[in-house]
Amino acid sequence: MTKGFFPKLAAGNIRKNGKTYVPYMISSIITIAMYYIICSLSVNPGLNNMMGAEPLMYMLNLGTWVVAIFSVIFLFYTSSFIIKRRKREFGLYNILGMEKLHLAVTMGWESIITAAISIGAGLILGIALDKVMYMFFLKIMEAAVPLGFFVSADVIFKTVILFAVIFFLIFLNSVRQISLAKPIELIRASGEGEKEPKTKIVMAVLGALFLGAGYYIALTTKNPLEAFILFFVAAVCVIIGTYLLFTAGSIALLKALRKNKRFYYKRNHFISVSGMIYRMKQNAAGLANICILSTMVLVMISTTSSMMVGMNDTLAARYPNDLCIYGFYGVDDREAIADVKALQKEEGISVKDEMDYRFLSFSAIQDGDEFTAVDDTGNLNLVGKVSGLVFVPLEDYNASMGENESLENGEVLVYANRDDYGYSKMKVGDETFSVKETVDEFMGNGITAANVANTYFVVTGDMDVIEELYEYQRGVYGDAGSEIRHYYGFNTDASEEEQIEFYNHMSTIGLAESKAEGRIGFIGLYGGFFFIGVFLGALFIMATVLIIYYKQISEGYEDKGRFEIMQKVGLSRSEVKSSIRSQVLTVFFLPLVTAGIHTAVAFPILKDLLAVLNFTNVKLYLIATAVCYLVFAAMYVIVYIFTSRTYYRIVKR
Amino acid sequence: MAILEAKSLQKIYTTRFGGAKVQALSDVSFSVEQGEYVAIMGESGSGKTTLLNILAALDRPTRGEVILDGRRLSSVSDREISAFRRDNLGFVFQDFNLLDTFSVQDNIFLPMVLKGSQFREMKRKLAPVAAKLGITDILEKYPYEVSGGQKQRTAVARALITGPKLILADEPTGALDSRSTDGLLKVFNEINRDGQTILMVTHSVKAASHAGRVMFIKDGRVFHQIYRGNSTVDQMYQKISDSLTLIMTGGEDDD
Repeated sequence: MTKGFFPKLAAGNIRKNGKTYVPYMISSIITIAMYYIICSLSVNPGLNNMMGAEPLMYMLNLGTWVVAIFSVIFLFYTSSFIIKRRKREFGLYNILGMEKLHLAVTMGWESIITAAISIGAGLILGIALDKVMYMFFLKIMEAAVPLGFFVSADVIFKTVILFAVIFFLIFLNSVRQISLAKPIELIRASGEGEKEPKTKIVMAVLGALFLGAGYYIALTTKNPLEAFILFFVAAVCVIIGTYLLFTAGSIALLKALRKNKRFYYKRNHFISVSGMIYRMKQNAAGLANICILSTMVLVMISTTSSMMVGMNDTLAARYPNDLCIYGFYGVDDREAIADVKALQKEEGISVKDEMDYRFLSFSAIQDGDEFTAVDDTGNLNLVGKVSGLVFVPLEDYNASMGENESLENGEVLVYANRDDYGYSKMKVGDETFSVKETVDEFMGNGITAANVANTYFVVTGDMDVIEELYEYQRGVYGDAGSEIRHYYGFNTDASEEEQIEFYNHMSTIGLAESKAEGRIGFIGLYGGFFFIGVFLGALFIMATVLIIYYKQISEGYEDKGRFEIMQKVGLSRSEVKSSIRSQVLTVFFLPLVTAGIHTAVAFPILKDLLAVLNFTNVKLYLIATAVCYLVFAAMYVIVYIFTSRTYYRIVKR
Repeated sequence: MAILEAKSLQKIYTTRFGGAKVQALSDVSFSVEQGEYVAIMGESGSGKTTLLNILAALDRPTRGEVILDGRRLSSVSDREISAFRRDNLGFVFQDFNLLDTFSVQDNIFLPMVLKGSQFREMKRKLAPVAAKLGITDILEKYPYEVSGGQKQRTAVARALITGPKLILADEPTGALDSRSTDGLLKVFNEINRDGQTILMVTHSVKAASHAGRVMFIKDGRVFHQIYRGNSTVDQMYQKISDSLTLIMTGGEDDD
């Protein structure tokens, strides 16, 4: 064969298969661009030098890996559609006298052309969008936007290598598939009658169990600490359950419907049930993928965006005062607070809303109204029962809150940060208190706000009681026990820079905290979460769109034959159309609806998880979730309209 | 009584850009009596398929009229046409046109289900049809699991089950081996003996030799026809062969 024959043939093939190749290349280009961007951001020196950048850089690095792994899976998946569609073509070449080796060379050239175009265009798009993303990022991080482009040869190199390897692996896989098959099999591949899928009852039941277990965990976990551990378990259960139910469960259900003669032999049911059995066989895995990707997008964007929006509330919970210091009661507290007050005068910083109280906090295992300190922190069975207890003397409570409460001996006031405390008594160790009242407000406390467990704030009569409790928990925990602390906090009108400077001075005195300083870390963390959420969300949406597109196209070719036969047998055009539409709609919107249910069920546990991160604005989170779902659904519908148009064009022709 | 009448059918196809016009049928008239078994023969491009499509109401003639059991097809509206087709006509195709997604039994039930029949009624009607066609054993199987002959018998069963006025068969033996062809032709003879009217379009002299009457179509017109009379199948075969030779060698002069 003459020189240049194969490259020409390969280029022609790609052009002729445009309907399948163009979306494949577009998605490759976008994937490559996304990888380049996230990789470039993770090494961007401008970001590295920014304050609060560590958690962010960490997340970007993690994101790079996620995108890389995603790219491998996703490109393999989409390329398999192409190979499936083209088997017949390769079979024909084979019969016309091209050897398998020649086919491999042709495919090699096709891969080289595809890879070159995708990687080239992907890098150009990536470099162009990198700056936009960087600016978007800086906007989130509330930082100034510097001028100039950042282009790293290192990152370009990494991107080229990664995707060259991916394309090469895809090529090897295609060659393997083609070389294993006989030409006659290749020719028949797309027209061959599909076997009816087997019913896999065990898998269907397992799927229901997994999903049920995941849902149960998500719905019943109340304790945030437990939620933290169990969320992952629940998510894995739901993912496994979704796959099993989509693949085995759907077919088992449809076959059960078919067994019911009365139901099955009805005009609408007859065609749609039998059609769906085949559709589900071919599409179940893809639909489960779409469903899980959609759920991830929804969860990621709704949580990260509400965290971002609600950041100031969270910040206020974590840092009740602009500046504060924690001293050890009876050790250095008087001196420390006096030093801070002296420093205030010295620096001339304005002071308002002062808060000054002593407290003892330790964790205990709760059983109804009984609290016991147990030195067995590694025991996971107890995790769900761990509660935090914070004791404050009445005198300090009245002073800080401006109240004038009084307590009899053995009486306490109780404030619960998350749950309600519904008991009239409270037993801690050997002591029994009677609850005079549960109060609605309590002075904030950053250290306990950072604690993930349910926490009860208890106002006791005087310091003697607190010292007895101190001895009790020291007796159990030994050196790991808590000290009685003294909190002094105040607000100020000073600028954030001044606050941070004051904080730096205060840190030499003792354990100090600054809201302004914390804010930078928060922005780094939440901004990073938000950015990654949006970034991966966009990537997943693109994947969803493409999977849907390919599904519709490949189904279109298969439905065409069926469509014609039914018309000949006496189904009118409009009846066929409506029957196919209802099937396509079911297949199409099943993942969206399931993703909606998953997201809704995940809501309670995610709410608890967010509470661990000090985000407690449930209403905001609810709104964010609803908005995300609606936006996502709208995008889904648009994709559906576009792809179903292509679909009908194929079927009608 | 004539169950089917075709009156001066004409069909002209216009190419997409309105250029050349192709006349597929120029003037076709004939009628089919109740209980008749008619074969239509003709070369490729003679207009056979066009004629069948018009008779099946899948296409409309440019001019002329088809009357099925006293009803003009042109009077049936587009909305009714599918229901009309499945109530009155049974189809048997060269490539079977069975749906892979249905078992053999469900393929046969398809027109009944579309009609809205009760399951019990379908089941009752299926038994004798399946027995006659010898497919009782394969009812639970799927089309891809059975032979070509069995597929075609399934398709015949699907055409018969609604008790249609007319069965239209388009090259029914085209995709079958000689044994299966013999089997299918026997089936057609039997159902015709039971009173079923059949109109078959075919290339095969063998298939046509079983019919009661053979019409030859050439250049969009009925060119010639042969009645069986008292001839045996073999004699009929000879007559058809002779007629074909005549037509091929420029029968134009006889016109």
